[in-house]
Amino acid sequence: MKKLFGLLLLLILSVGLVACSSKEVSNSGDGDADTGTDTPSSSDSSDTADSGEDGATITYWYWADNTEYSNKMQEIIKEFNETNDKGITVVGEEYPWDGGGYSETLFTAAMGGGGPDVSSFKLTSTPQFVANGLLANLDNFIADWDDKGDINDNLYNVMKQASGSENIYVMPWNTQILYVYYRPSIFEEADVEVPTTYEEFLTAIEKTTLDRNDDGRTDVYGFGMRGAKGGQEPWGSFIHGRGGSFEDMTTEESIAGMKDFVNLYEQGYVPPTATTDGFNEIIANFKSGRTAMTIHHTGSSAEMVETFGDDVSAFAFPPGEGQWTSMGDTENVIFESSKNKEAAFEWVSYLATGKGQEEWTIATGNVPVSKKVQALDHFQNDRFMKASIDGASYAGILPILDTTTEWINTIWPNTIASSLMGDITPEEAMNTLQEELYK
Amino acid sequence: MRKSKLKRRRIFSLYVPITTILLFLLFPFYWTFVTSIKPELELYGPTVTYWPQNFTMESYRSLFSEFEFLKPMFNSFLVATITTFVTLFVSTLAAYSFTRFEFVGKRILMGLFLTNNMFPNVLLLIPLYSIMRNANLLYTPLSLVIAYATFTIPFSVWMLTGYLKDLPSSLEEAAMIDGANRAVAFIRIILPVLTPSIIATGVYIFIQSWNEYTFAVLFTNEDSRTIPVALKNLIGQLGVQWDLLTAGGIITIIPVCIMFFFAQKKLIEGMTSGSVKG
Amino acid sequence: MLVSPALLIVTFVVFIPVIEAILMSFQNYDLRRPNDIGFIGLGNFIAIINDPQFWQAVKNTLIWVIAGVGLQFFFGFILALLLNQPFRGRGVVRAVSLIPWATPGVLIGLMWKWIYDGNYGVLNDLMYKLHFIDQFIPFLSQTSTAFPSVIVTIIWQGIPFFAIMILAGLQGISQEMYEAADIDGASRMQKLFRITIPSLKNVIFITLLLRIIWVSNSVDIIYNMTGGGPSYSTQTLSVYIFNKATVLNLGYSSGMAIILMLLLSIVAIPYLRKSFKEG
Repeated sequence: MKKLFGLLLLLILSVGLVACSSKEVSNSGDGDADTGTDTPSSSDSSDTADSGEDGATITYWYWADNTEYSNKMQEIIKEFNETNDKGITVVGEEYPWDGGGYSETLFTAAMGGGGPDVSSFKLTSTPQFVANGLLANLDNFIADWDDKGDINDNLYNVMKQASGSENIYVMPWNTQILYVYYRPSIFEEADVEVPTTYEEFLTAIEKTTLDRNDDGRTDVYGFGMRGAKGGQEPWGSFIHGRGGSFEDMTTEESIAGMKDFVNLYEQGYVPPTATTDGFNEIIANFKSGRTAMTIHHTGSSAEMVETFGDDVSAFAFPPGEGQWTSMGDTENVIFESSKNKEAAFEWVSYLATGKGQEEWTIATGNVPVSKKVQALDHFQNDRFMKASIDGASYAGILPILDTTTEWINTIWPNTIASSLMGDITPEEAMNTLQEELYK
Repeated sequence: MRKSKLKRRRIFSLYVPITTILLFLLFPFYWTFVTSIKPELELYGPTVTYWPQNFTMESYRSLFSEFEFLKPMFNSFLVATITTFVTLFVSTLAAYSFTRFEFVGKRILMGLFLTNNMFPNVLLLIPLYSIMRNANLLYTPLSLVIAYATFTIPFSVWMLTGYLKDLPSSLEEAAMIDGANRAVAFIRIILPVLTPSIIATGVYIFIQSWNEYTFAVLFTNEDSRTIPVALKNLIGQLGVQWDLLTAGGIITIIPVCIMFFFAQKKLIEGMTSGSVKG
Repeated sequence: MLVSPALLIVTFVVFIPVIEAILMSFQNYDLRRPNDIGFIGLGNFIAIINDPQFWQAVKNTLIWVIAGVGLQFFFGFILALLLNQPFRGRGVVRAVSLIPWATPGVLIGLMWKWIYDGNYGVLNDLMYKLHFIDQFIPFLSQTSTAFPSVIVTIIWQGIPFFAIMILAGLQGISQEMYEAADIDGASRMQKLFRITIPSLKNVIFITLLLRIIWVSNSVDIIYNMTGGGPSYSTQTLSVYIFNKATVLNLGYSSGMAIILMLLLSIVAIPYLRKSFKEG
């Protein structure tokens, strides 16, 4: 019986394979050609869709940072499907974030001629998607859009910069502005005030590093440093604190900032695991009381309050010679292969300025991009939102080039680790970082 | 006297080494389990606790109720089972012919079989995806079966070839002298003797397809998700949901072990039953 | 004829992509810059040979494979011999020894990372309580300990593989040979080296070969534990290939993949030759 079943299956397999291989041959020959703007014509995501725009079905890929957010997204989708007046149905499909592997999954699917109509997106991936002609140009949609003015012009400019052109391919959704979390009780214990300058900030880190019982083991580290992927964001604030910049990381000022950074590790003001600490570790160390300060955004504020109640607060990264903090971001994109771009835009704009924006940013604690939503009481009365909004004026992003993803994934963490451990000097590290970003 | 000396020898030659190895193999599993029943506060507490102070089974409950973990489990089971049967059927025949017949290009074929396992999957993703899409197999369990079979078949053919070569060929010859033809000899003599090897190879195939992530994330959607993808969904930008992840891990491992518990009996039966018939 | 179904599946599904990838290695195939894609001959290979990271990765791969597979085999073999002896509860012990292998790669990486953790890790806590150390060791955060730590993890994962494969092989050895040896008064060690190992020759060779290929290609454990860091100290060739491929420099990573394939062939070909001469 089993064998019969196996044979049958095999037969089906072979027939299917022969059929597909003949198609494949015609498709694979033109490797160079189909990397242009004409992506393979059929899109399986729209197979189920009706021909007209009304009553269209669009697929939406997203990742969720935890189960609650996942449920929230399903709720928003359900609500949109029930309330939109064009009969559009969004089918949401969750994909793992996978430490950024999400973007690669998305890219592979889109290059293979599949993928969704709409997807959530990170700005750093823009160059590679645009270069391969995968994303739909949103210029006309935005020009005709009633809510156009509800999003700050500055944000549109950031989206344009990311594509390296005058066109917008990426629809703003929400942002996260980094600020410093601190523990008032530890500050009191160490007799430190909230720093107002970069220099004071460095001193505060030193002073809040405590060995409470003088046994030679540090009980509290002043700062939870992030040396793994993602750490380039808080690191950028140090570089700018001495007046350096991303444009030229080999200037004296930039190197001075790097030296401060390395010094914190060498002096033992940060946990010895800093070379590989990522998001999980810096948050865990802060929540367990092992660090007095760390840098993150509002995404983690709810759990901070849950852990500490009033014994946690925040300040914006203080000014030195320069001042900079990182603006994290999440966007949505429409794919060029989508047959229902009109319907897709209805959906992304619902997330950008509609009910979806309000519900999502309130649930996740991210900073809204819609001015209307920003003005809501919920966002005005929150101490962490306040630190975010304080930082907004000097918040920026890393230069987005086609080299940025690799730089963030491997070059930055490994170069920084080498430098922290003293294998290379801060000057050498900065030279490598500069060369690799502008390759 | 003699008996106690024998017993002591057994302690040192069997129980001590096996306990040591088992401790090493099982401790991480124990730790996974303990993590799954700890509340999060205790995970990052000032002291490491070896048994939770506050025991909670909440994660297991929410895994099945809110997270619908049964669905990916069923999908994984389906894919792994089909892959295992297809692969075993195909590769047993192939391995048999590789060891018992001479034909042109045999060596090249075996070599080619190996090279495909030498090549990193990550470079094959885009073309494979477009093959699956053009064959209209995307998001069906069949796409995963095919993808996995292409990697498990060469492996299994090689494995089984190894086992077959170590078998004394006298077994089969004896049967053929008795007048049985090759097919009958294969089914009646070789197959029973080969059972342990087939089981072991089957275990390999099953586990491989049960745990694979890279293809699974691309070739499945919400309806056909398998376990590794579902587990990875629990790790977001805002950290790991330890309780759910470890609970999910425990639930993933246990069925495999239970199945193996029943299969392992066959692992030792093979030779005895084979020689009776031979 | 019996081979054809197997051949059909493997050929159609994998060979076309593999050939495409081989072609990529002779091109400047970087999907981040699709307009610059073009034939560059051996350009990728020349760049690879001059890349210090590549050589470090080759060295790491050698250590990874030799130490990893070697010790997996050693402990797996012992475990197989032990599990082949009759004792009470053997079925259960066999079933649970499968656990490391049955654990999904995602979880292996995360759990071991958690065990090694420099702040809350149980390994540090145990060693501290037993007074082996007086400061917690950041196992995965310093170059000196990171690589040995991930190697221990791959050993842990691979022991059951060898144990089960060899256990299956042990069932094919006829008891008569052992009985004859007993009559000659052979010691246990003599029986092991004269009967057991020679009878398992092919199984041992093949499991080793397949495992070497598998381990040298494995990415998920290192990737989930360290991502190849800190300071590239845990970056094996396959992880380097993976890292380059995920940032879409497909030409460069295909080039390295081919070099990896050639390196593995050096191991595989002598065996192939030998085994078919005998056959």
